Amino acid sequence: MSYFLQLLVSGIVVGSIYALAALGFVLIYKASRVINFAHGHFIAIGAFTAYALAVDFGVNIWIAALVVLVFTAIVAYFTERVFLKPLVGQPIISVIMVTIGLASVFGGLIHLTPYGSGNFSLPAFLPEGGVTFWGISVSYPQLLAVLFTAVFLVAFAWFFQRSTIGIAMRAVADDQMASMSLGVSVEKVFALAWAAAGITAAASGLIVGAISGLNLEGLVGIGLKVFPVVILGGLDSIPGAVVGGIIIGILENLAAGYLDAYIPGGGTGDVFPFLVLLLVLWFKPHGLFGTEEIERV
Amino acid sequence: MKNKRTLWALAAVLAMGFAAAEKVHIMWSGAITGPTSDAGKYYAQGIEDYCNYINDTGYVAGVEFVCEVRDDQYNNANTLRNFEEAVDRGDPIFLGYSTGGTLQLKPLIQEVGLPFIPASYHIGNIDPPDNDYIFLPIPSYSEQVIAILEYIAKTTPGAKVAMVVHPSPFGRAPVEDAKKAAAELGITIVEVQEASKNLDNTATLKRFENKGVQYIVYQNVAGPVATMIKDAQRLGLNIKHAGAHYAGGPDLLRLAGPAAEGFLWVTSYYMPDEDNDGARFVKELGAKYGRPADTIESVHYPSGMLAAAVAIEAIKEAKDAGKKISPETVYEALLKIDWPNKLAVGPVTYSKDDHVGVDMLRVLEAKDGRFVPITEPFSSQLFRKVHYGK
Repeated sequence: MSYFLQLLVSGIVVGSIYALAALGFVLIYKASRVINFAHGHFIAIGAFTAYALAVDFGVNIWIAALVVLVFTAIVAYFTERVFLKPLVGQPIISVIMVTIGLASVFGGLIHLTPYGSGNFSLPAFLPEGGVTFWGISVSYPQLLAVLFTAVFLVAFAWFFQRSTIGIAMRAVADDQMASMSLGVSVEKVFALAWAAAGITAAASGLIVGAISGLNLEGLVGIGLKVFPVVILGGLDSIPGAVVGGIIIGILENLAAGYLDAYIPGGGTGDVFPFLVLLLVLWFKPHGLFGTEEIERV
Repeated sequence: MKNKRTLWALAAVLAMGFAAAEKVHIMWSGAITGPTSDAGKYYAQGIEDYCNYINDTGYVAGVEFVCEVRDDQYNNANTLRNFEEAVDRGDPIFLGYSTGGTLQLKPLIQEVGLPFIPASYHIGNIDPPDNDYIFLPIPSYSEQVIAILEYIAKTTPGAKVAMVVHPSPFGRAPVEDAKKAAAELGITIVEVQEASKNLDNTATLKRFENKGVQYIVYQNVAGPVATMIKDAQRLGLNIKHAGAHYAGGPDLLRLAGPAAEGFLWVTSYYMPDEDNDGARFVKELGAKYGRPADTIESVHYPSGMLAAAVAIEAIKEAKDAGKKISPETVYEALLKIDWPNKLAVGPVTYSKDDHVGVDMLRVLEAKDGRFVPITEPFSSQLFRKVHYGK
């Protein structure tokens, strides 16, 4: 039983990391219907900037982390202003192609820094080891991931339900033309969505960096791992991103724990969630919490 | 006036000397960016610096080496393009990188007869068919893993071992030979798990614990290994960890920190903090060409140097024998080479039946944040028995 509980808890914490990474992706999609293929690169920008500040400039890691949250938000904000704003009103496929291009440009720019190739380790900002209860062990970076996810979930829930800008974002997501006619600044909403996505990307970059070290390929890979999460949860649903992330995390762990031993080479943890994903999409094509769009002719 | 004439004469002689120097191209195609570039970056720097050193010292009279490091981004199609360019230009030797790229190029390498030295130590590179022109600088992954198993069997008779390997031909390379060797050694490989970049390895590690695993042997790169050994430490597991060349090294120490203590690692290269000519040479070269500490400390830096050095030695042999430098003459020279290099723990020797340069390796252990050798250099007879039936 403790084995099962350990796998369950590990799945929840890993799922929280996926959820944290997926939040930014969903924010952008929710506001602007743009699938951001450069999301993994924002994660990498956040993580490497924190590393540079802490290691190369000797800034306290906690201060560096705070600076990075702001910095990545600014980078994301201006990315939207410079590259995406001119595309408002253009076919969505054009915008998606631009995000693919941005991924390539950001990747190239990171390679121009000393951090593009190599493995790096963030200075320890959490104690070694972790918390153990009832024989279940969770590391401090994993706990921080759960905490971050919970904080962001609550903050975004409040933001979208209570704040004027949040409500404007929802309105824009629902109908851009109607929102504009009511005086909502669509451009401002888009830019703010990107900035918020930058904050969550930086947060997930810090967590991933603390767990598995900094490596460009690994960090960008987390950006790709959010795809099954957001498809399962629903592309435009913030609670869906969290639930989707946790489900994927749990499925990965249970499959690895119970099925790998019977499959030569193992690796079921990477495959099994996708099988479940296919099954869910069979019945819920918009994901568990995604908005069902019905077009009436 | 007389002095001026002398100067002009000297300049003319020098210019003639330079003009007479034969330019010999050596191309390396590997990952400076993209997957595995954490190793490829340093490997490329090793090639560049060794080449510059050779040119600066005039080691091969009448030859100026033009060493080109090309970033193929770990993409076989790019490797193929670079290789074809080298063939078309008439390069006498080619330095490769990845397992996938080398295995894919094997038939072409055989067809064009261009000697090829990869950074991949996959035994399949030098096994038939199409294996005449490929030369490994150090023992294969199979031999490295078997050497580790021999050490484990000696220290923990009857040990239960799990293997965690990269999900690729690179990772799977030593698995079959390791299983045969384990049977000979009386130890059990209870499971072989393929793993890439997991954020958490609790499920795998707890399963290993339930099966009574005492050692995990890795054939992987340092990043995923670091995550796994940190997870094992957090879970308080009484499991020891060991790995082949690319699994360990200073990168692992940097990523895993204290969790790397006790890690057993096999390689043929010296560590930068050792007191010997090889370690000193690497440090001096790194300092001479302005390399940062992380480059000088990386095991991939001398690895790149050795690959370039073997190529240059073979070219020198061909040149010294009065032959035209070509793929054919360099290949002939490689087959006869017996070079007491100082970059690795044994001499580089090849023959028609032996395409492994340095035959020796050592087991090292992570102690107090650095890898220290715990065996003398040795060669695994058991590997030859299980792989070649000798």
